[in-house]
Amino acid sequence: MNEQQIGYRIRQHLNQGLEDLGASRLARLKAAREQALTRQRIAARPLVAWADNVVGRWGGPSSLIPRMLLPMAVLILGLVAINQWRETQVAAEIEEIDAAVLTGDLPLDAYLDKGFDAWLKRSSH
Amino acid sequence: MIPSDDRIHCGTGRQKEASLASPNELSDFLVSIERRAYKQALFAVRVEENALDIVQDAMLKLAEKYGMKPAEELPMLFQRILQNTIRDFYRRQKVRSMWVTLFSSLSSARNDEESDPLETLGTAAESKGTAGPVESLEQTQVIEYIEKALQQLPPRQRQAFLLRYWEELDVAETAAIMGCSQGSVKTHCSRAAHTLAEALRAKGIQL
Repeated sequence: MNEQQIGYRIRQHLNQGLEDLGASRLARLKAAREQALTRQRIAARPLVAWADNVVGRWGGPSSLIPRMLLPMAVLILGLVAINQWRETQVAAEIEEIDAAVLTGDLPLDAYLDKGFDAWLKRSSH
Repeated sequence: MIPSDDRIHCGTGRQKEASLASPNELSDFLVSIERRAYKQALFAVRVEENALDIVQDAMLKLAEKYGMKPAEELPMLFQRILQNTIRDFYRRQKVRSMWVTLFSSLSSARNDEESDPLETLGTAAESKGTAGPVESLEQTQVIEYIEKALQQLPPRQRQAFLLRYWEELDVAETAAIMGCSQGSVKTHCSRAAHTLAEALRAKGIQL
């Protein structure tokens, strides 16, 4: 009989021996198991805390990430603000021109007339 | 040297594409393992109460530290925790026995409750339950002989043999739990199997 066969046979006997542990031992094992499961539930609760911790670590002073993320966020916000301001300026200029045109003595049709355009060019020379 | 369970890294293929163990999965796992774990601890420490304490400690450690690990990793993790808990018990026992020896040399009347043969007899009788037919009795005796032979094995041989053939771990997993080489596991298993077969043959038991 080789090692594997001995192992297999002994395993069978040992498994049979498990059926006869006695009520008191089984009760004790059950109590231990239930206690362990309670601990698992308690240990599982700090999962949220762990996630918070991870996020906190990302934002914490010791990490490299905030050193990069924060300036990048400021830069992006700055660029967005500049772009917004520029658009506002352009819009204001157009508004001014439109207002000047609308408040002028000449009617709008005059600006659209080809003859008027030619007269303007000639008179400017 | 056996690595501490704080440094457990399961390098087995079992952890691939695994989901986290739910309380039910952990419960099922503990139900499936508890009796074998108790027996393993009992073979090692030989005192029922201590064996139950060891299993309880191992279960608590598993649930607290690794309760949210994938279910596939639980067997390896539990075995490593159990073996480390048994080893810690040996250490504490060694320190305690040193003090007891020192103390008993001063006091001759030592009351050793743990090794009371009457108590052992009582628990053995309790565990047998109802008396069965002759075959059942023979079977019980064979199991007792096997368990006794296992208890008498050197700890490392017993550990390797039980992990390989009772827990059905492969050589690499057993080596990882025992903190030794795969070659050592094979040697321990081979010697253990040989010794067990010899011991049982000497008792007239054919496996």
